[in-house]
Amino acid sequence: MSLEHAVEMRGISKRFGNVQALNGVDLELRRGELLGLVGDNAAGKSTLMKTLYGSVIPDAGEIFVEGQKAALRNPRDAQALGLAMIYQDLAVFNNLDVAANVFTGREYTRRVLGITFLDKKRMYNESEALLSRLRINISSPKLLVERMSGGQRQMVAVARAIGFDATILIMDEPTAALGVKEANTLLDLMAELRDQGISIILITHRITDVLSIGDRVMVLKGGERQGILNVEDSTLEDVEYLIVRGRSDGSG
Amino acid sequence: MTANQTPAARVESARARVRELMAHRESGVFLALVVFFVVMYTVSPIFRRPFNLTTILRQISVTSIVAMGQTLVIVSGAFDLSQGSIAGLAAMVTAKLWKNAGLDPPIAIIGGLGVGVLCGFLNGVLAARFRLHPIVMTLATGAVFLGVNFYITRGESIIGLPDGLTWLGRGLIGPVPALIVLMFVVAFLMHILLTRTLFGLRVRMIGGNLKASQDVGMNVERIRVGIFTLSGFLSALGGIVLLGRVGNALPQIGQGLLFPVVTAAIVGGTLLTGGVGSMAGTLIGAAIMGIARNSLVVLQLNIYLQDIVQGMLVVVALLIDQFRRGELNWRIILGRDR
Ligand SMILES: Nc1ncnc2c1ncn2[C@@H]1O[C@H](COP(=O)(O)OP(=O)(O)OP(=O)(O)O)[C@@H](O)[C@H]1O
Ligand SMILES: [Mg+2]
Repeated sequence: MSLEHAVEMRGISKRFGNVQALNGVDLELRRGELLGLVGDNAAGKSTLMKTLYGSVIPDAGEIFVEGQKAALRNPRDAQALGLAMIYQDLAVFNNLDVAANVFTGREYTRRVLGITFLDKKRMYNESEALLSRLRINISSPKLLVERMSGGQRQMVAVARAIGFDATILIMDEPTAALGVKEANTLLDLMAELRDQGISIILITHRITDVLSIGDRVMVLKGGERQGILNVEDSTLEDVEYLIVRGRSDGSG
Repeated sequence: MTANQTPAARVESARARVRELMAHRESGVFLALVVFFVVMYTVSPIFRRPFNLTTILRQISVTSIVAMGQTLVIVSGAFDLSQGSIAGLAAMVTAKLWKNAGLDPPIAIIGGLGVGVLCGFLNGVLAARFRLHPIVMTLATGAVFLGVNFYITRGESIIGLPDGLTWLGRGLIGPVPALIVLMFVVAFLMHILLTRTLFGLRVRMIGGNLKASQDVGMNVERIRVGIFTLSGFLSALGGIVLLGRVGNALPQIGQGLLFPVVTAAIVGGTLLTGGVGSMAGTLIGAAIMGIARNSLVVLQLNIYLQDIVQGMLVVVALLIDQFRRGELNWRIILGRDR
């Protein structure tokens, strides 16, 4: 396995009933790049990323993370390998506060008399620091997520994923619910994280976003890979052509 | 708060604090409790007698203890309808261990609590591993526990219990009835459990968003088993306290416990859809019902009004809940929401 790749997926296939969601898809994510993943609705983008994150088990195919073959049976396995994902259908806990959401699954605790207590103070402090580092417009980590706007919830999910100290970040349409200003903040943040060496896969329908901050863009259509383009020598029309028409010949 | 604030700023920050307070779900019910208490205190000289006030606390103690377990279960997104039967079975096993097996009262009590833990564990396994729907499942296991109770006792009471068995229900710690102390201790510990521990957070998580909890990869099964086991334990504890209050071991102990227990939780603001609820709220809910019941007595109204009042309280609590969640508003009620 080439070591320039943070992730390599080979021949991933997945069928749901009589829908072939993915059909022999390959993907290479270079270390430290921001790869856009685009395609029409139902192209298989979310499903492909879920197989990488261990929340969907593929019918066929292999996944390599940092050159090692990975057995991903659930998201915990993926997290252990340094992956973090923001789901399209935000998996936030509306009944909990911001800090609890940011630290979901890796809470700071203290054991006293065999009982695991939450170290709330530390989680509040660190999530407050995280929110301000990410320039997220949420006034307090004690706020209930229930009372937040869609955009703020999105940012909570972003903070959770980034807070994991992941080296590989998967974002499924993170800007979909955001206003122009919030979306730009998030895009800047992603570019910044990429410059810090984090490898990122960004699913989005806003192709111009990928062209402005991305390195490469991969197109899916009908569960099949249509091609990977270098952002530098591609235009919006090139990408859109692939999305709509697919590759006209066998090249990809 | 600094001294050099303008009056307007001070008013604003006071307002902000009031808003923050009101944002707590318990604030509304607590206010209701205070108003209710003050009104009764003012209008009824019998009500404000210290003896009457401790009577109320003694009366709500068993309900509260068991309701703490129910609150935990409801917050996790389930129900435990077998609590009354567990309470009865644990009480009778305790009495029988003393009477027939000749065990010392403390050992017999531990045995009774063990039975509650076992029943709760069984509920937990059926709910978590076998994925049975908790409402129907606990209704069924409740019937089984009740049947076991009547089978082993043949429906016969055990009259005359030793002090060791009745102490929890009748004893005093200093000047304070033991069961009142027990109620506050249980409430405090359960509050800590729900709000300060990882387990409590997990309970709120699976009740708030089960799918996301599974996505995170937490052990939902184990948490569920823990929840039902704790509910079984607290039911048994309630049953054993009841044993002391009654003074004799009657097989039908614990019957009729379920409704006030669930009522306390609901009136206390526990969301039936899971994820939200507090032990303080449940305690307040139990207190409101206790005062309501006591009012009927001290105002010399017909005690049979009790069921009506209790039922109405639940309906009102449910309505308030619907409003708060935005599921209901005046337009819908007036039929203009088409
Ligand atoms: N759990 C599932 N069960 C059944 N079918 C599924 C499931 N998940 C995805 N599919 C199907 O697989 C196909 C690909 O879905 P996927 O969510 O990956 O698309 P997508 O590219 O992310 O689309 P969108 O842009 O709308 O998010 C669709 O036809 C979808 O209906
Ligand atoms: Mg999708």
